[in-house]
Amino acid sequence: MLRLTGRTALSAKPVSFASLAVSSNRFVSTKDLTPKPLQTDFPLISQQPNSSPLDYALTSLDVIANWARKSSFWPVTFGLACCAVEMMHVSTPRYDQDRLGIIFRASPRQSDIMIVAGTVTNKMAPALRQVFDQMPDPRWVISMGSCANGGGYYHYSYSVVRGCDRLVPVDVYVPGCPPTAEALMYGVFQLQKKMMKTKLTRLWYRK
Amino acid sequence: MSTSIFRTVRNIYKSGLRRAGWQIQVHNDTKSGWLVGTDDFGNKFYETDHKDEIHLRTRWVEYSEWGIDMSKVEPGWHYWLGYGTDTPPNKVTGDEKTVRAYPLPERHHMNYTTTPGMFVTYNTAKPKTTAWTPEVKDRVEV
Repeated sequence: MLRLTGRTALSAKPVSFASLAVSSNRFVSTKDLTPKPLQTDFPLISQQPNSSPLDYALTSLDVIANWARKSSFWPVTFGLACCAVEMMHVSTPRYDQDRLGIIFRASPRQSDIMIVAGTVTNKMAPALRQVFDQMPDPRWVISMGSCANGGGYYHYSYSVVRGCDRLVPVDVYVPGCPPTAEALMYGVFQLQKKMMKTKLTRLWYRK
Repeated sequence: MSTSIFRTVRNIYKSGLRRAGWQIQVHNDTKSGWLVGTDDFGNKFYETDHKDEIHLRTRWVEYSEWGIDMSKVEPGWHYWLGYGTDTPPNKVTGDEKTVRAYPLPERHHMNYTTTPGMFVTYNTAKPKTTAWTPEVKDRVEV
């Protein structure tokens, strides 16, 4: 896995491109040509420490709300292609999503999560966006499979959206073509983890 | 999960109160069996063949640290947990070991998503412009 270690990224000075002229050294890593080293070691919002008693109290309230949210995980089924078959497997007895409180809702008005499973075509794009807009806040999106992640096999097709993140904000990308039911469940767990780390009251409190 | 009270009592008796409480917290069930092996993380893998256990719930992992995450389990053990093989990775010897063109890293890493070590994408395109840093040379009096 390619991973920038934060320390080195922070301490590294911006590379001067004159010294890395390709003619002088043909084997310059493209990583060294990056304009600025990106900071990866900043604390996430979820990892900022509590600084006052009010912080502690609000964090506890957040945990309760987040627990309620992640425990009633109702996705709207946006099954578009073969990924949808794997999504159905998650609801069948072997993986049995009901034991996790996951219930597929046919209506966007009553769902919290949209699982985009499959190729999003240009023709389907407005419908996808409309369904997303009809979902009440808070809402999350899981992009399932390479086609939904970035076009996948159909990336160069004239009729396919190159990733559903061009239409809706995506929280979790599940890779695979199609991802196994197990992989989708793992994506669900990652999203639940993300939900649990949300600091709901922070913005309100900062005002 | 078999809901027999005798099974629960037996498992609590075998595991002890502390471990049984932990199992109820993490697995929502009580389990007892024999230790099959331990991986790099210190995760312990167990198996049982008791007749009360239902199909495909006879192997489980007890994580060494708090937090359930399947990515903490090494691939070989994951395969064994999913009933892909009956030979656990610590019993695999000699020719049975897979020779990989690209060997696995020395130590298995968990999925770092939502942690500070997470992957952050970066630009690999060569910049089209370069910044100009003016260098003023000292005047030399002739």
